[in-house]
Amino acid sequence: MKFDLFFKLAKEAGIEASQLSISRNTSLSFSLFEHEIDSYSANDSYQMSAIGVYKGKFGSANTQKSGKAAFEFLVSAIKDNAITSEKKEPAEIFQGSDHYKPGNYFSSALAKTPTKDKIALLRELDTKIEAFDKRIAPNYGVSYEESDTRSEFYNSYGLKLKERTNCFVIGAQVPVKEREEVREGFDVYFSNDLSTFDCDAFTKKVCNQGLSKLGSKCIKTGIYPTVLKKDCFSRILSYFLSSVSSEEIQRHSSSLEGKLGTRIASPKLTITENPTLKNVFRSAFDDEGVATIKKDILKKGVLKTYLYNIETARKDGVTTTGNAGYTGSKMGISYGNIVVKSGKKSFEEMISPVNEGIFITSLSGLGTGMNAVSGDFSCQAEGFHIVDGKIAEPISLITISGNLFKLLKTIKDIDNESELLYGGTTCSNVLIKGMNIGGE
Amino acid sequence: MISKQLAIKTLNTALQSGGDYAEIYLEETVHDTIALENGAVESLGKMQTYGAGIRILKNVHSVYGYTSDLSKKSLLKLAGDLAASFEGERIIEVTSVKNVHIKKINKIVHPVSKVPTSEKVSYLKECYAITSKVDPRLVRIQDNFLETNRVFEIYSAEGSQAKHYKNYEDRSRLVLVSMAADNGKIETWFEGPGAFDGWDFFKEKLDYKTLAKESGEKAIRQLSAKECPSGVYPVVIGNGWGGVVFHESCGHSLEATATAKHLSVFSDSIGKQIASPLVSAYDDGTIPNAWGSNDIDSEGHKTQKNLLIKNGICVGFLVDKFNGRRLNMEANGCSRRQNYRYEPTSRMSNTYIAAGKDKPKDIISDTKLGIYVTSFGGGSVEPVTGEFNFSASEAFVIRDGKVCEPVKGCTLIGSGKEVLMNIDRVANDVALGQGNCGSASGMVPVNVGQPTIRIKTITVGGRGGKLQ
Repeated sequence: MKFDLFFKLAKEAGIEASQLSISRNTSLSFSLFEHEIDSYSANDSYQMSAIGVYKGKFGSANTQKSGKAAFEFLVSAIKDNAITSEKKEPAEIFQGSDHYKPGNYFSSALAKTPTKDKIALLRELDTKIEAFDKRIAPNYGVSYEESDTRSEFYNSYGLKLKERTNCFVIGAQVPVKEREEVREGFDVYFSNDLSTFDCDAFTKKVCNQGLSKLGSKCIKTGIYPTVLKKDCFSRILSYFLSSVSSEEIQRHSSSLEGKLGTRIASPKLTITENPTLKNVFRSAFDDEGVATIKKDILKKGVLKTYLYNIETARKDGVTTTGNAGYTGSKMGISYGNIVVKSGKKSFEEMISPVNEGIFITSLSGLGTGMNAVSGDFSCQAEGFHIVDGKIAEPISLITISGNLFKLLKTIKDIDNESELLYGGTTCSNVLIKGMNIGGE
Repeated sequence: MISKQLAIKTLNTALQSGGDYAEIYLEETVHDTIALENGAVESLGKMQTYGAGIRILKNVHSVYGYTSDLSKKSLLKLAGDLAASFEGERIIEVTSVKNVHIKKINKIVHPVSKVPTSEKVSYLKECYAITSKVDPRLVRIQDNFLETNRVFEIYSAEGSQAKHYKNYEDRSRLVLVSMAADNGKIETWFEGPGAFDGWDFFKEKLDYKTLAKESGEKAIRQLSAKECPSGVYPVVIGNGWGGVVFHESCGHSLEATATAKHLSVFSDSIGKQIASPLVSAYDDGTIPNAWGSNDIDSEGHKTQKNLLIKNGICVGFLVDKFNGRRLNMEANGCSRRQNYRYEPTSRMSNTYIAAGKDKPKDIISDTKLGIYVTSFGGGSVEPVTGEFNFSASEAFVIRDGKVCEPVKGCTLIGSGKEVLMNIDRVANDVALGQGNCGSASGMVPVNVGQPTIRIKTITVGGRGGKLQ
């Protein structure tokens, strides 16, 4: 096996145990502008990440080169980095789990479909968007991206693991214009089965998204019952998930320290991680080679577990939850396939008791507007007014602000329109009791 | 990284179907990270980025691809696959390569990469020692040193003689993060000075001792900050990092990536007034050793000092080769990319509003009731609508011309068209602040900058009710 040389070189250099992760990715993308292909890209990339134990300390490195020189680079960097490390925790390479859930999310049909058929599909979308409404601005764009990722994991104890996923993403950015007002619709569709793409439905969705925003106004500053559209809620939720990281807990930089087993959110909220769900975010092993497992993170508002890798689990005297993930070349915490349990009501039923409220459909600037540690946030938003239990006029240029952890406690309802979002969370729309809205 | 013969062969393969321009970008970059956690070395990271990107242009069409395998077989396959997406007869046959001399703007006397790791660790420990003495409520202090050492080559051809450029970029950054906790509240403060410069920048030019002290002090101050009021108010924005306002509200919308396809509110604005007459603004990639500077851009053009707005009138865009074709404008040295995995496009470098005539203290004293923002966490813009947002990381209330209590959780939102026209005071204290900007061609280092300015009125978002 060609990676044996790495383990041989590592052993000769005095590295006691080591692991090697290899990621290969091929991708294809193209976009149409003014009905012609204006960009086309075909890529092939490769990365090796290695961790080793040298004189009882971890060292790590990664490279996009391959071959013997790359192995030598990794071995040398592992030694150099381990020598300088002042970490007190014992270093250990995991030997292997007893069982890994088999299966890939790979479609050979997608891989074999000729590029010309994919271009034809995008042309069909392009034509349908143009014909949809005369307010569609001529500078709209549509794009197609496809990637095929192969992950391999090896360690010096002989563990060998492999996984493969492929997926396509069709996207459309549709500016709409009426008099001087310009708004935009944007959406993506992803899968690894091209036959599931409903071109008419996608066209209608993305165009109406832009058109429905025309005529939008600001609203008076105040506190309103607020519905967060599923993708907005999932973005906010990602900061909660980073606070569940055992690394952050152990470094006293999470507001959830000491909250295990306590109610920290509305009983309506149950969040599960299910890494082996069959979709593009599937992963049967983490970056330490540990088999991933399904687990409740939050059950009816009660915090059930933090997310652990081997080192942080040892510190807390528990077992790793299979959530090791590289951050750069260093091992940290990651997660995949988060599922928010959906409620029973439809969207319309959920908002029907709201006399006056806001439906937030888009957030901007959350990355800088969220204090990931305290959970305080403030960012730009747009959406719709809710009047007498129904969606009314569009609203733009407002801010929403609050505290993530308080927000989770004030979830009043979750609808049943659950969907797997591009980002790996399966989520529904969520009604919040009261949100600070900044406007006029 | 590859021979000239292979470069010629690859370019000719790329140009076989009628492309009128082909380019190979080759890169080998090492990223080194030293991370201290509460004064102890937590980890050292070494990452090697290696590969090539090939681009072919034909009129206003572009194809791009990359590979991390620089073998002859791999490069010729990639060039051939990309060329196959065009149909046509060859119009260019490359026969020779000319080496292009690059004038170094960013000269480095003491490269950071030559400094022993132990010396960098001692430097970070000195920072930690200063910060940790500030207050016992500082529960977590991170001191990191990040280095990027890039060697890159460009072979480009639009005629029989290809051009060959070879250069390097050495950028480093000190990152200090202080976290304060008290009574269930947790607040953080971030400082991240960086430069395209050597070790002497960090040891001699940078006042790192003051910075380390202030990092701790500012985290502590945030613990007692009240929630920011919301509504529409006059806002004074401090110099340096305040420039993120211009970067988001206007800079992105002046990039040819947005203007060429009429995806920007400023697409047809050349010669028109888009800002208050008090505002002139530049993007200058030539400031020696600045964080956002380059000797040449990703297409081989010399970097330039580009005037974008003169006394409120839009006079220029940031133009790359490809988008310049749609605009019928010449590229002006601003084509950038994160690495070989990104097709280059027009991006900002060191962007700033030029100095005005006011004194900063007069702007404050002439403001009866408003908000004073001295630092931002960042922001974003939607060029199609021109709507932007920024999050303040440090802000104060101005009452009766005086800076009063600190406030937190402050967001400014607005439309680029309106906010630029609304600037009614511009001071004389221009400064720059370092950041990383993410856009179409990935994450690139940029300086944002401005003097102290005042926006007559802008929407402020926060949880503190009405400003009184």
